[in-house]
Amino acid sequence: MLERITQGQLALSSRRRIQLLFLMDNGIYVVTVLLFILFIFAAPFFFTPRNLVNILISASLAGIVTAGYTVAILAGQIDTSTQGVIAIATVTTALLFQEVELALPLTVMVALLAGVAAGLFNGVIVVNGKIIAFVATLATQGVLVAIALFLTGGQTITITRAGLQEAVFIRVFGIPSSVWIMFLCYILGWIMLNHTKLGAHIYATGADYRAARLSGVPVDRVIRIALVISALTAALTAILVTARAKQSTLFGLAIAGSVDFVTALTAILLGGFSLFGGVGRIERNLVAVLFLTILGNGLQLMDVPTGIVLVVRGFALIAAVILSVLRARVA
Amino acid sequence: MVRDQVILETIHLDKSFGAVHAVRDVNWKVYQGQVNALVGDNGAGKSTLIKLISGALSPNAGSFRVRGKETAIGGPSGAFNLGIAAVYQDLALVENRDVVMNMFLGSEMTRGAFSIFLDHKSMLHEAQRVLDEIHARIPNVREMVRNLSGGQRQAVAVGRALVRGGEIIIMDEPTAALGVEQTQEVLQLITALRDQDKTIILISHNIQQVFEIANYISIMFHGELLGTRRREEATQEEIVAMIMGKRAQQDGNVMA
Repeated sequence: MLERITQGQLALSSRRRIQLLFLMDNGIYVVTVLLFILFIFAAPFFFTPRNLVNILISASLAGIVTAGYTVAILAGQIDTSTQGVIAIATVTTALLFQEVELALPLTVMVALLAGVAAGLFNGVIVVNGKIIAFVATLATQGVLVAIALFLTGGQTITITRAGLQEAVFIRVFGIPSSVWIMFLCYILGWIMLNHTKLGAHIYATGADYRAARLSGVPVDRVIRIALVISALTAALTAILVTARAKQSTLFGLAIAGSVDFVTALTAILLGGFSLFGGVGRIERNLVAVLFLTILGNGLQLMDVPTGIVLVVRGFALIAAVILSVLRARVA
Repeated sequence: MVRDQVILETIHLDKSFGAVHAVRDVNWKVYQGQVNALVGDNGAGKSTLIKLISGALSPNAGSFRVRGKETAIGGPSGAFNLGIAAVYQDLALVENRDVVMNMFLGSEMTRGAFSIFLDHKSMLHEAQRVLDEIHARIPNVREMVRNLSGGQRQAVAVGRALVRGGEIIIMDEPTAALGVEQTQEVLQLITALRDQDKTIILISHNIQQVFEIANYISIMFHGELLGTRRREEATQEEIVAMIMGKRAQQDGNVMA
């Protein structure tokens, strides 16, 4: 486990402390609404049905992977293998659907299973190998990207066979299915974290591994499950990204725009989570993802050069880190 | 003189760690509904004995008799099933979770099929009821543990032992890190537990405190149990002498 950074608690009255925490934890809602309103006036075509749906699609891709990532973080596991899992799942999807011409449901199932396998593998190294997740999953990430490269010979597989994109982006009540899937992930995540035994155990394991173990929480199993959930959502994201781009995207993250480790991390920190686990609420992450997506989308519509957009996102991460450190000192 | 009922007894209990003989042939009686204090210098074997009873360690030789029945402890979960619950010195509480979740951590109440869903309402009521019974001064059971005082934390840890059906509560130096007021709170807590007919095993360095609250005082020295005294029949001088290794021989009234 990483040692908690001890910077000393700020000297505050308990009332002031509660006020500050409330502000830090819920500020993201206010900031997101303010940003939205700002872009309605500042960015052309921002407040159009077409663009709003676009925002939701982008947010759904980043949102799904962030949901699983959140679960791992809550259990105290920083899962850095996300990009590797996305790479292996996108290649699996493209190869099976395009080259092998497997039926769509089977393709999806195998790609998801690849994610589960990666998560289980992470679990074995972290739990049995007793290696902190940050390092262990970084290694997994390298291995998975290498396997994906080997499977494709480094080539991008373009999907010409019909059915994948159509199925994944079918609209229900005018909203693409990926958006519904994202909402479903967050609803399931919220129920699991707040209303099940597993959720209570995930929070406890992340907050204090030793105390949880002594209390009879099956901490090793909890960590394994959290890592599988994280990898599973990464695989799910990969399928959606592949379907949307109609090709395998080894470095899918760049192509998909907003699906990457840094976005997930920024969202998690903006959502008031601690990287040391055990603190945070998943619904705030959904809002943080929307915030980041709206920010990128609005700036693009204002014709701000991509480089500048990336700089702004970088600053968002810095702000998020500062917020997280401040929160730890106030709490 | 012994009129209290023995709830737990160790029989020729022995434990070594390599060359260190931590617990030597200990025959110890723990009395039901009483505060059983275990005193001794650092390294006298108190902690090892306690860990053997709570199932954290298993003995090299010897056995246990619980409620008259000879039994093995069989690990922490086995101790649990026998109603033995240890309150660890650092309490093993999760700072960032509230009182209710801490009390039920690892033994959550659930509802519905497959015991998946938490029964928040029942846990809240049960936590409140248990804490009221031991007169714990915790205004809000939804409060995070990190915002509680040392005395309140001790109450939460004891509450956790109780919601799990703990009958024999082991407390390891519960007041070691506490100030005067907090210490009084914990002593009241122990008294409240005894009034509930719970059996308390109390490890303490503080002889004065032991005399204030214990019914039985057992003394360990170099892994051996030198003896057990009823508080009324013992003097502080005698106990201190025994802690320093002087075996009292004149009367064997409760000598184990």
